[in-house]
Amino acid sequence: MAYSDKVIEHYNNPRNVGQMDKNSTEVGTGLVGAPECGDVMRLQIKVNPETRVIEDAKFKTFGCGSAIASSSLATEWVKGKTVDEALEIKNTDIVKELALPPVKIHCSVLAEDAIRAAIGDWKKKNVAVGEQASAQVAVAAN
Amino acid sequence: MTIVAEPSKKIVCWSCGGDNDADTQFCANCGKLQPYTPTDYFAFFGLPRRFQLDTAALEKQFYRLSRKFHPDLYARASAEEQRWSLEKSSVLNDAWRTLRDPLARTEYMLGLAGIRLEVQSRDASDRAVENGTAKQQVVPPDLLEEVFELNMQLEEMRMAKASGSDDPETRGSLEAARQNFDAQLKASEQDLHRLWSEWDAAAEADDGSTQQAAQQRMVDLLNRRSYIRNLMRDVEAALKS
Repeated sequence: MAYSDKVIEHYNNPRNVGQMDKNSTEVGTGLVGAPECGDVMRLQIKVNPETRVIEDAKFKTFGCGSAIASSSLATEWVKGKTVDEALEIKNTDIVKELALPPVKIHCSVLAEDAIRAAIGDWKKKNVAVGEQASAQVAVAAN
Repeated sequence: MTIVAEPSKKIVCWSCGGDNDADTQFCANCGKLQPYTPTDYFAFFGLPRRFQLDTAALEKQFYRLSRKFHPDLYARASAEEQRWSLEKSSVLNDAWRTLRDPLARTEYMLGLAGIRLEVQSRDASDRAVENGTAKQQVVPPDLLEEVFELNMQLEEMRMAKASGSDDPETRGSLEAARQNFDAQLKASEQDLHRLWSEWDAAAEADDGSTQQAAQQRMVDLLNRRSYIRNLMRDVEAALKS
């Protein structure tokens, strides 16, 4: 099976490989995996708390070329979007952009899962931060 | 692999009209080959549906049925009987390959319980998209963390090796990693055997919730194994390169 030019391009020049501080409240981390093919993918986003815009994204994927290309593309696409806009990214968009063959569709699903997981993690942290802040306010008021 | 769970019913012999149990291969009365009816592999072999299988009985039954279904025996029989003998010979071979292999048998048994490993992850994604919720990962998060870490370490070792330094230290750590994965695979086999007997005992006792808990742990174990097997393949490739 031949990879499309776009997959090869992302595979050879992956964008945004790296990691961010997963303990930062501005950072959301999604770690997802597809046990059937042995892939693991970590995607991280850094969100501006005021505007909810994703200012930076990093990934690290252990898997096939399509998994790497899908996550590389995902980081490119989420950057500059608000978290709500990023949730609109569908795996089918990734399939189209990378011209993935049917046997590799699960790679795009994994990338979509990673985006959702990263956003979910960021939201969870920030609800917690919000609660903590209001709790502190409540304590201060007493 | 087709999995069909048919309610058991009687069949009437096409030749002599005698009554037979649903999974009968040959009429109890006249001995004629009966039509092929889709059934699970255990019923096909006439063995109880258990993870722990009497492999000697399985093998004996396989050779016995191979002879009795053999298409050569039906060269002069009716077109239907010829077709049934072919169909049954083919199912027999699939069933034999599946049931004699411990892992294939485990996956098949889980399939009979409605758990299909290869689509589990995809189904969970579909549900998440439908409900707009975060995906329920099929792999426990601590396993993902561990696999990710192991991959990171492995990548470092591979990079050290690729950068020309085939130093004994890198080779040693790769070798240690290989032994570690090998030990993990062996340990997981023992765990799997324990889960089999847990499930089988619960099946005897009609204890559905214990069966389900054991099934879930088997799923986790098999998912973990497929990650370890991949890591093992990568380590071996790095050691050979």
